[in-house]
Amino acid sequence: MSAPNSLVCFTNCLLPQEDGSLIEKDLWFDERRGVIVDAQKTFFVRKQRPDTVIDLQGNILSPGLIDIQINGAYGFDFSVFDGDEEAYKKGMELIAEKIVETGVTSLVPTIITQEKSLYPKILHLLRPFSTPTSASLLGWHAEGPFIDMAKRGAHAPSFLVSAPDGVKSFESLYGEENLADDEDWLMNGNTDVGVRIITAAPEVTGVMDAINVLSKKGVLFSIGHSIATSEIATNAVKHGARLITHLFNAMPQLHHRDPSIIGLLGASPHLASPFTPITVKPLFASGESGPPSPRSPISRSNSKFAVSKASTGVGSEAFDDFDTPPQTPVLAAMRSGKLGKSASISQISLGQSEAPAEFTRPFYEMIVDGVHSHPNSVRLAYSAYPEGCILITDAMKILDPNLSDGIHEWRDGKRFVKEGDKLYLEGTNTLAGSVVTLDKCVRNFSRFTGCPLGEAIKCATFNPAKCLGIENKKGTLRPGAHADFVVLDRQGHVLSTWVKGKKVWMKKD
Amino acid sequence: MRLIVREDPTEVGSYIANYICRRINDFEPTPEKPFVLGLPTGSSPIPTYKALIQLVKDGKLSFKNVVTFNMDEYVGLPRDHSESYHTFMFREFFSHIDISPSNVNILNGNTIDLIGECKAYEEKIKSYGGIELFLGGIGEDGHIAFNEPGSSLVSRTRIKTLAYDTILANARFFNNDISAVPRMALTVGVGTVLDSREVVVVVTGQRKALALSKAIEEGVNHLWTLSALQQHPWALIVVDEDATAELHVKTVKYFKSIERVQEEVEETHRKLKRTNSRVQQVGSME
Repeated sequence: MSAPNSLVCFTNCLLPQEDGSLIEKDLWFDERRGVIVDAQKTFFVRKQRPDTVIDLQGNILSPGLIDIQINGAYGFDFSVFDGDEEAYKKGMELIAEKIVETGVTSLVPTIITQEKSLYPKILHLLRPFSTPTSASLLGWHAEGPFIDMAKRGAHAPSFLVSAPDGVKSFESLYGEENLADDEDWLMNGNTDVGVRIITAAPEVTGVMDAINVLSKKGVLFSIGHSIATSEIATNAVKHGARLITHLFNAMPQLHHRDPSIIGLLGASPHLASPFTPITVKPLFASGESGPPSPRSPISRSNSKFAVSKASTGVGSEAFDDFDTPPQTPVLAAMRSGKLGKSASISQISLGQSEAPAEFTRPFYEMIVDGVHSHPNSVRLAYSAYPEGCILITDAMKILDPNLSDGIHEWRDGKRFVKEGDKLYLEGTNTLAGSVVTLDKCVRNFSRFTGCPLGEAIKCATFNPAKCLGIENKKGTLRPGAHADFVVLDRQGHVLSTWVKGKKVWMKKD
Repeated sequence: MRLIVREDPTEVGSYIANYICRRINDFEPTPEKPFVLGLPTGSSPIPTYKALIQLVKDGKLSFKNVVTFNMDEYVGLPRDHSESYHTFMFREFFSHIDISPSNVNILNGNTIDLIGECKAYEEKIKSYGGIELFLGGIGEDGHIAFNEPGSSLVSRTRIKTLAYDTILANARFFNNDISAVPRMALTVGVGTVLDSREVVVVVTGQRKALALSKAIEEGVNHLWTLSALQQHPWALIVVDEDATAELHVKTVKYFKSIERVQEEVEETHRKLKRTNSRVQQVGSME
């Protein structure tokens, strides 16, 4: 026999399927090309079979995990750029190289609201990037600055903007080159997979008009940091929004008469026109005056607040700085005259005469650290719309699974206390953001929802890939997809991580 | 002909797998002199394939020097269709054993010159010196390969129209859509099967009981093509208890008595072969 071929067979393993099941099956991939191959075709047409066989001892062979919202890790913050391009690139490389220990092989670096002059530069630096042994940075996720003041979370208020000129405002802020059509944007990269996500509030002036244009360019629009009413949120989806940023966080609470953004998870496929509740009027007419605009921001240094809000915290950008009374969205919309124009239940279309296009519910992100959303809320959302669920970490730069519990230096002379997945500012019980790893989210999710591990894996692999439109290359075990894998034990703990067909990390015994 | 009765399909599979394993290992195949094996698809042989895979994993058997010829394939069904026999063989057997892809032969039902394909298949079998052992299953109507009732008992590899029975039976694999079931197949002929030096047929389940009784308790009849096996000098049928439901008690008892004699002779013969390499295979002890 001649030299062994570059084909490898994983055997004795469970493969997560795109329907969330786990089945026992072999998987063949080409180590040299770094792609999964069609085993049957390889056998019958190429007349080859793998010379290398790897026994995975009954463990799970999952596509590498995908984190579509991560702010930083290992001390590097994607949002911080001091003008030193080399240092920034080193930071990107550091995270890409190290994050594989959490089973993540693809991630979308996320930039929280910055001073606007920084965007063109940072977004330019965040083109798809990977080394032969690292996870892939897929592009960028710009969270802000076109977000609602009322739900700005930890985003700096002075940097928030509106988009009076629609998509032109987006282009001038993010940089025209960064918002080029997908094909042109990808041209300069060394990969065929790249993504761009913008989280914005559709009710902010000019944003709604831009969604359609951005979507056509291949930029994924995500609804977030918003107080959009049900009507506005539905419209945003009709305009092309495909995602909800960290569901439950930085948006109005679920109100049954106007479920707002969260309510999109329950939207009917036959939603011809937005459902406008007829009960709104009497409620409003009674003279109740809810706060039309957000209450004054509560200072984070306010110790009383920190105590009273300890269970939800304030440090993470995903958390609310403001209380949103349940009725706010309805009242706010009524005041601005946005409701009431069609204050009757739209007729359910029975005939085929004007069959409206089927309404597709958007995907939604969830931070499943047990802190940002109560386990019950996680299960509630998942039950409503399992196919749309995407797990994210939304992790801060201090994410590092090797960091021990205890007191650590942070910034500006502040220190934080790490307790498992919770981070507190020293001396307070104010949470300082998410430090959960994605593999832990997968395990948590299975526990919180009671779903089988295969379904939890799907929410961190296939679902995000499908949302991003890259499900032929990432987050899947389809032939032709990149050979990025994570081997998990049956409890979901990472045993090894593979990138482009090569093992790049392995758990030490 | 010998008939071996085992309790259930798993034991039938294990019996045949061990039998084939012994035959291949006794044959001592080499790249120059490979063991040529004929293979079926369908649900009956699956336990046999499972048992063979286990033997390979346990290191007791290798398919490195085994050449296989499959019995049949649908016409016009894409090779990677979930119901094609290429897919079946890869999924149930070839992907799990150490066989070289170049040693695997399955009729191509997607070629334009179907007749040429069949002729070339026969030629290729001949070029290996014929098939050493043909493993087969049967349909409820007693067909072996796609040799439906009425097939010539001296037929060779050819295009075959499927019987309505078979189309109905296969519809369950095509979302119960009868129109989606292929109407034609390429199949080895009854003559092709009979030409192999040994034939082993697996028959399990009550639903095959009538076919089994027609094939072995009545005369040679082209309406039950398996009955042609009566003309073969070295045939073995392995069945489970359910499949014997239509047989006479006398028939079953007779065949059970053959089993013991065969085992004794084979054992003696194997010892003999160890001391004298020119000793021939046992063949059937009927």
